[in-house]
Amino acid sequence: MAGRDLLRVEGLSTRFFTEEGQINAVEDVSFTLREGEVFGIVGESGSGKSVTALSLVDLVESPGRVTAGEVRYRDADLAASVRDRHPDAVDGEFVDLRRVPERVRRSLRGPSFSMIFQDPMSSFNPSVTVGEQIAEAVEVQRRASANPRSTRSRTQGYGLGRLLADTVLPTRSYVSGESRERAVELLEQVGIPDPADRADEYPHQFSGGMLQRAMVAQALAGEPDVLVADEPTTALDVTIQAQILNLLDDLQAEAGMSILLITHNLGVIARTCDRVGVMYAGEVVERGSLTAVFDNPVHPYTQGLLGSIPDLADPAPRLQPIEGSVPDLVDAEMDDRCYFADRCPKAMTECLDKPPEFAVDGDDEHAAMCVLADHDFIESEALRPDYFESPLEGADVDAAESETDD
Amino acid sequence: MTTVSLGRFLLKRAVQGVFVIWGVVTVVFLLRFITPGDPVTFIAPLDASQELRRRIAAELGLNRPIYVQYLDYLAGLLQGDMGYSYISNTEASARVFARLPATVELAVAATVVAVALSIPLGVVSATRRHEPVDYGATLFSLVGISTPNFWLGIMLVLLLAVQFGLFPTSQRGTGFLPAVAGTVGQFDPGLVVRLAVELRGEALLAYLGKLPLVTWLAHITLPAVTLGTYFTALITRLTRSGMLDELGKSYIRASRAKGLPESLVRYKHALRNTLAPVITVVGLQLGTLIGGAVITEAVFAWPGLGTELIRAINLRDWPLIQGSLIVIGAGFVVVNTLVDALQAYLDPRVVAD
Repeated sequence: MAGRDLLRVEGLSTRFFTEEGQINAVEDVSFTLREGEVFGIVGESGSGKSVTALSLVDLVESPGRVTAGEVRYRDADLAASVRDRHPDAVDGEFVDLRRVPERVRRSLRGPSFSMIFQDPMSSFNPSVTVGEQIAEAVEVQRRASANPRSTRSRTQGYGLGRLLADTVLPTRSYVSGESRERAVELLEQVGIPDPADRADEYPHQFSGGMLQRAMVAQALAGEPDVLVADEPTTALDVTIQAQILNLLDDLQAEAGMSILLITHNLGVIARTCDRVGVMYAGEVVERGSLTAVFDNPVHPYTQGLLGSIPDLADPAPRLQPIEGSVPDLVDAEMDDRCYFADRCPKAMTECLDKPPEFAVDGDDEHAAMCVLADHDFIESEALRPDYFESPLEGADVDAAESETDD
Repeated sequence: MTTVSLGRFLLKRAVQGVFVIWGVVTVVFLLRFITPGDPVTFIAPLDASQELRRRIAAELGLNRPIYVQYLDYLAGLLQGDMGYSYISNTEASARVFARLPATVELAVAATVVAVALSIPLGVVSATRRHEPVDYGATLFSLVGISTPNFWLGIMLVLLLAVQFGLFPTSQRGTGFLPAVAGTVGQFDPGLVVRLAVELRGEALLAYLGKLPLVTWLAHITLPAVTLGTYFTALITRLTRSGMLDELGKSYIRASRAKGLPESLVRYKHALRNTLAPVITVVGLQLGTLIGGAVITEAVFAWPGLGTELIRAINLRDWPLIQGSLIVIGAGFVVVNTLVDALQAYLDPRVVAD
């Protein structure tokens, strides 16, 4: 199923510059997405998975900013068209999207990258019909392909004057009739009954599941190569979740696009993905093929996640939760250590230095950012359980002393 | 939203409006009976006999039971009759409607000034947050909201009218429609071109300055700015915060994700949703301006309904007071019904609720 690499993300970092300090939401994240595959990113709330998705499509909002890394996207045409002006961004057929102007990145939204979001209700403009909003997405691409050489046509101005004219004059509109028809076709394609009628309805007249289908239709408008799905099923109930996942499966088989699926739901990952990356505190701590990661998890965090799923075949009396919660990632409070060490049952003194990424069992694909991938747990070096709960007074001195005592 | 449901919605609002106006009429009518100051004492000479007072009361119909007077007044109103002014012995409706155009003109002019300035300012301020233009707009709206308009009016007159002579200090001149008609009648493009070609700037300005429409504009500018400043500041703030609010919503991010140009995201999506609440406030304010321009009218000796109402209250000229209040109230209701219609057009959920 999987083909050549389509997207290579290397060392991606995204920071938020807030008054409380710098927050490292995404820290040195690397992964690849291949043609026609589903790559899953899984992690707790606050692990940086959504910000990773937004960073790829350049939609991180202020005060956030992508600060480092490369997002290499394979597109021979694009490479040819930017080679002259931005030679350092081009490497063969790959273009580093971080080194081309914002205008170019924006022009890729729609035909190359598209995104669906968690909450369909808030992701549609409440006062514009669903059909019109999908037709807009079609129209932008239509106008762009009418003038393919120019990225300008996609970013062309639409000022107050034209807004006024389009609002006041009933015959004028940004969206053409053809685009409206295409929107109805798209709605039909994602399985919405009576698409022509429903296209004229407003988001509040749709159910959550139907609206999520409409959002998928909207994302398909530009026939993207990469669909980024940020928690596409989280706001939906379980039967509807299954329908949306089936829909994504079908569409992917039809269109052959690649999907980057962001979720906290391991069941969704297991059901849908070819490969998976596990995120914790802004880092990808373990990645590999679905079977490798799920059957042979190495990182204690991955093991913890998998251990906290109820097993229907062998219902254990109690689930094994991971103690504690994700650190808040404010730069000043983060040491240069394994971020999971404070919650890790197998933390060792070695973990006070940041562990590198180790390949697991000689498998090129499967890697984990954990010393346990390299060697076994050494009991004599284990940190005592309350090591990171430094006492309120004289924290530093006490910590240093207890360290030497050990 | 179908046109049928929109039509029904508007019909419902219109019917509600009729009842509100009826309520206004009733309250305004009853006001006379709970307010001290018998109109007869104001009309009759100081040394008038009881007999004369009774005769005056009988002549004005004030000796009849309240409900008879009420029904009589309602019946009169339905025929456009507001009774006779006690003081000038002319029809109250004639006086009210003679004053109404000046007031409406001023209120509309102030609103136009306010909306034309504030919405672009609010939008620019929101889209260039934390840039100098944003700080400027925020400062302006703070100052604008805190400046009392009688003071502003006097300062504008002193500076622009008295010191620089750019505008007349007071009065209205002709009305808008006569001014347009007069300008169309006497405007001579040939003369303008000739003066321009001959570079006779002063003569050209003198000619243009005498055109009725220009005179009208000169008269209304200062009152409109005075009346509109608070309003401009208020709408700027409202537009800015509304726009910031909308721009932070998920659907904006989704619009960007599907590749829409930024201008379309801002204007077609964010601004349109920002405008719905802004329009409500504009409507409420316009309604208030129709009745509440009293101070500005006083500063500029503007012959509007506000000054007339104050005069009528001082003289206990009840038919005139009642007529003015009813017209002001009805104006408020009409403006708000129109605003509801516009809002239903902009935001379909209004009809659904």
